[in-house]
Amino acid sequence: MKQYSDLEFLRLSKWQRFCYKFLAFFAAIPRAIANFFINIGKGIKKCCLRVAAEFRDIGQTFVNGDWKTKVSFLVMGFGNLTHGQILRGVMFLLFEAVFIFYMIFTGGYWLSMLPSLGKQGPTNDYDAIYDSYTTHYHDNSFKILLYGVLTIFFIVAFIYTWRMNVKQCKIIDQITKKGGKLKGSRDDLRSLVDESFYKTLLALPLTGILVFTVLPIVFMILVAFTNYDGAHNGFSNNLFTWVGLDNFNTLFSWQSAGGGQSYSATFGEILTWTLIWAFLATFTNYFLGMFVAMMINKKGIRLKKMWRTILVLTVAIPQFISLLYVSKMFARNGLINLALGPQGLGWISQPLPFWEDPTWARVTVILVNVWIGIPYLMLITTGILMNIPADLYESAKIDGANAWQQYRKITLPYMLFITGPYLLTSFTGNMNNFNVIYLLTGGAPTNPAASGAAGSVGYTDLLITWLFKITTGAESQYYLASVVGIMVFVVVAVISLVVYNVLPSIKNEEDYQ
Amino acid sequence: MSKNENTSKRHMGIKAANRLSNGAIYVLLILISVIWLIPFVFIVLQSFRVESTYQVGYVVPHQWGLQNYINLWNSDFKRWYLNTFIIALASAVLVTIIQLCMSYTLSRFRFKMRGPLMRFMLILGMFPGMLTMIILYRVLSDLGLTQANAVPGLILVGFASSGMGYYVSKGFFDTISRSLDEAARVDGATRLQVLYKIILPLAKPIVIYTILTAFMGPWGDYVFARYVAFGTSAGYNVAVGMYSWLTNDQINRMYTTFCAGGVIVAVPVTILFLCLQKYYVEGVTGGAVKG
Amino acid sequence: MASVKLTNVKKIYDNNVVAVHDFNLDIHDKEFVVFVGPSGCGKSTTLRMIAGLEEISEGTVEIDGEVVNDLQPKDRGIAMVFQNYALYPHMSVYDNIAFSLRLKKVPEDVVYDKVTHAAEILGITEYLMRKPRALSGGQRQRVAIGRAMVRDSKVFLMDEPLSNLDAKLRNQMRSEIILLRQKLDTTFIYVTHDQTEAMTLADRIVIMKDGYIMQVGTPDEVFDMPDNLFVAEFIGAPKMNIIKTKLLCENGKYYVTPFGAKIPVDGDKGKGLAERKVKGGDVLLGVRPEHINLVSAAEHAIPCTLVVEEMMGSELHLHVDTDDGTRLIVRVPTLDLSKAERSALVAGARLHISFEGKAMHLFDPATEKNLLT
Repeated sequence: MKQYSDLEFLRLSKWQRFCYKFLAFFAAIPRAIANFFINIGKGIKKCCLRVAAEFRDIGQTFVNGDWKTKVSFLVMGFGNLTHGQILRGVMFLLFEAVFIFYMIFTGGYWLSMLPSLGKQGPTNDYDAIYDSYTTHYHDNSFKILLYGVLTIFFIVAFIYTWRMNVKQCKIIDQITKKGGKLKGSRDDLRSLVDESFYKTLLALPLTGILVFTVLPIVFMILVAFTNYDGAHNGFSNNLFTWVGLDNFNTLFSWQSAGGGQSYSATFGEILTWTLIWAFLATFTNYFLGMFVAMMINKKGIRLKKMWRTILVLTVAIPQFISLLYVSKMFARNGLINLALGPQGLGWISQPLPFWEDPTWARVTVILVNVWIGIPYLMLITTGILMNIPADLYESAKIDGANAWQQYRKITLPYMLFITGPYLLTSFTGNMNNFNVIYLLTGGAPTNPAASGAAGSVGYTDLLITWLFKITTGAESQYYLASVVGIMVFVVVAVISLVVYNVLPSIKNEEDYQ
Repeated sequence: MSKNENTSKRHMGIKAANRLSNGAIYVLLILISVIWLIPFVFIVLQSFRVESTYQVGYVVPHQWGLQNYINLWNSDFKRWYLNTFIIALASAVLVTIIQLCMSYTLSRFRFKMRGPLMRFMLILGMFPGMLTMIILYRVLSDLGLTQANAVPGLILVGFASSGMGYYVSKGFFDTISRSLDEAARVDGATRLQVLYKIILPLAKPIVIYTILTAFMGPWGDYVFARYVAFGTSAGYNVAVGMYSWLTNDQINRMYTTFCAGGVIVAVPVTILFLCLQKYYVEGVTGGAVKG
Repeated sequence: MASVKLTNVKKIYDNNVVAVHDFNLDIHDKEFVVFVGPSGCGKSTTLRMIAGLEEISEGTVEIDGEVVNDLQPKDRGIAMVFQNYALYPHMSVYDNIAFSLRLKKVPEDVVYDKVTHAAEILGITEYLMRKPRALSGGQRQRVAIGRAMVRDSKVFLMDEPLSNLDAKLRNQMRSEIILLRQKLDTTFIYVTHDQTEAMTLADRIVIMKDGYIMQVGTPDEVFDMPDNLFVAEFIGAPKMNIIKTKLLCENGKYYVTPFGAKIPVDGDKGKGLAERKVKGGDVLLGVRPEHINLVSAAEHAIPCTLVVEEMMGSELHLHVDTDDGTRLIVRVPTLDLSKAERSALVAGARLHISFEGKAMHLFDPATEKNLLT
């Protein structure tokens, strides 16, 4: 493809410029993909080198170290203890002791069961004394998977700590050789509120995230490769076990699922609606919110504070109240239909199918979402609008721009630039906007074609509400929910990655500074 | 067009044109205000309706009374309200502490794992949080923190992962000049002293914002609360409890009671919100976009 | 009151950018040293490494004979004034200045004495109860200095303290810093990008570029004997004229031939060249604008055309083009001109200029090093 210089490019007509940019964009794609893989390759190479360097370092520490260092390879913290760093040494030693005890008494069991997720399910045994059958519970797949993962986490932590222990020995060696002074326990404690204050601050939040987010996510990713569901709950009825990629095959199979359309068709429909919804929900709110903010901000409009407060008021009221109320307002026998119907104004003879007709339902959901979202967007955009330097407008006015041109050429580019990242998070947030959909429609109206799929899929269902329905449905197909969850992650990640790479606010950070 | 006409049009005046457009804007704004307020006015009005408890086609009650509020008092609503209030209060304290720790650290310290950590949390955030519900439920139930004991369970889950929501307050901390930290450190302050003597007093708006959002969140929390309480009324929060009133078999008995409950829930939260509105706006406009 | 010694100090950022290369400097007790250079030359980074705000990648920093690499800023016995003042916005002026003393748990009456004493010296007594945002730029600057003063520190660090002030205030504060220095009588390290500040304040100037030290010397030394082209152009305003020309060596005597003229390199400079047995060839000739004279047409005079004249009050800056198109700046004291001469200086006028050999600087075009030192 021909490359134009800047001056040549400026000679092109508008249409030619567009074509040029369009082509250039696609011409760059193979290269971007190639770079992506090259970078992955480089990353792997770097990783390998890193690991190799670690091993070399460990080896050298052992060879060069004195007997104390050598003992430290087995008895963690020995080097610290013998050099007067009591606190560090005791911590290391304690950790090692806890680890060994844990592995011997429970960790080993969980780890050994992990490949099979349990060997023996509950049994109905005859009890000779009471002359009756009693159920005996044995292995618990759920716990095996959970504690198995936890044990692996623990082992990784142990290896890391052991490595730190070796590093400590090396540092001690270096310092003592130079004749320097080692940091004592008191210094260690003091540094926790000073240089290493971040460790203190992060300890609690990160532990929380590790236990309540990372662990469950790893667990659920693994569940996608098992047959964990209501009928195989891993304990009281049947054990569950690894099934490989079967669940992914189910979701992507083209075969009709129990009388309705295939799973992949259902998934495709829901995904399409999820994307349409996220797009419309994000941009209707964004532009209308900006419009309202600009109206209130306009010079000469009085009572600015009052208008703003009226809108902000609606942010304060818990969403479930407003959403549930509005949902019932639009219901078949809700306020609107009754008021317009024969008993009220008599404008309509049949109730309007707000939640019964697929198209009506989708439009209503988006409109109600506008009602929910505008105040928030109004607040955000007000702040940014007020930050746009007034002299930009003044100079545009002198250049002869009318109100619309000022909006198109100054306000909008500025807003899009500043709010680019926000729009991205807002888009992905809307993809997972459980509350609005679930509280308004619960996914209704039901899609009869998808009756074979797990959960009762409706026309306004998003992937996230479908996921919820799968887990709470009669059969509780957790494995399928987890596959859907992984797909949600893939979609969000791909969109974020692409948008992040074309977003001007990331690329040219300084443009509007 | 004669030249005269042309100039007179040009001279029609900025004032007149302005008045016209301003008029249109006022009409629109009034319209918007009405649309936005009407459902809430309806809720309040219907909460005082005593002649019927189901949905009707009019708004102003024919007969006014407090029967719905009395019903509310006699139902489990008290328990739900207390549950929600405890959760909200606890999360206001705990979530705020966790988020401030996280965001201050990520804004101020440059340590080796900072970049990877932030990237990791970004990726983690792309998983739908609902996915973790299944296992968290099982874990909580093993700990005995579900159903009637849902309140401590919800508090625990609510604050444990709240570090992930550090973006807004980090955006605010980033706007406080780092040379203040440096000056204080040269002046002899430890990092801890820098935090509580310099940064926290300056970060008052974002602290209040964080407290406010952390307090308001639990009032609208539905899905996880329902999961954890699992059909035990004593463990419900207001959202789960009141949702059950609008199911098909209850709505005709409980509709107006729901409205009364809505008023009771919304009024204190709204008043609190209006008092602290200034900080909320500052937080939203300052942090939300930057983060 | 202490010496500061930097040995092989290096700063390498995480992305492998080297901000400071191998910095060696001995700062004596009670010396006033100024780091000067264009932005991004590593001068602030060096200062921040001395302060402990930036990790030292390699090398050692000693204050008063003690290696301070691993010490926290507060334990290094330094005080620092920041470019944007870094006043704590939520504290009054009094509390700002008292902050460090209170952290050290100094009794409140001692705090009072020290703060009021500093405020008196700086003339900010009446503002003690104000918050920083209610102060003007100059007053904030004084508070920042006051905050540093009460610490009784061994070394006083200042990071571009005047660059946020307007020109007039800057001149005033500059002379106040000189007075302050006399009163405090301690070691000062001062960072600036303004060569005037450096020249007026410093005992010794450290000129930096791209992380390297270009020259260390007293103001006189760096002005009269710049080590290299960079220092020559950086110090002095308007900056030195640089002319590409040839150096001739005839019978042990040296000449330069700018624009067809032949000017002898005489005096010490000629001797210096001879001693070092410099051969002739291409050189860069540097002449400061104030060393170029307007002359009437004569043998060695160089003809040129006036392009722009700038009236600076006591002097005129003339931008002239020689016949081969080289732009030169000439600085002429206004007093030296008669009325007629003055009125003849309009754009397009033909002029003649000349300069003397003793005012010349010669640089090697390849290494940019000074040939005369």
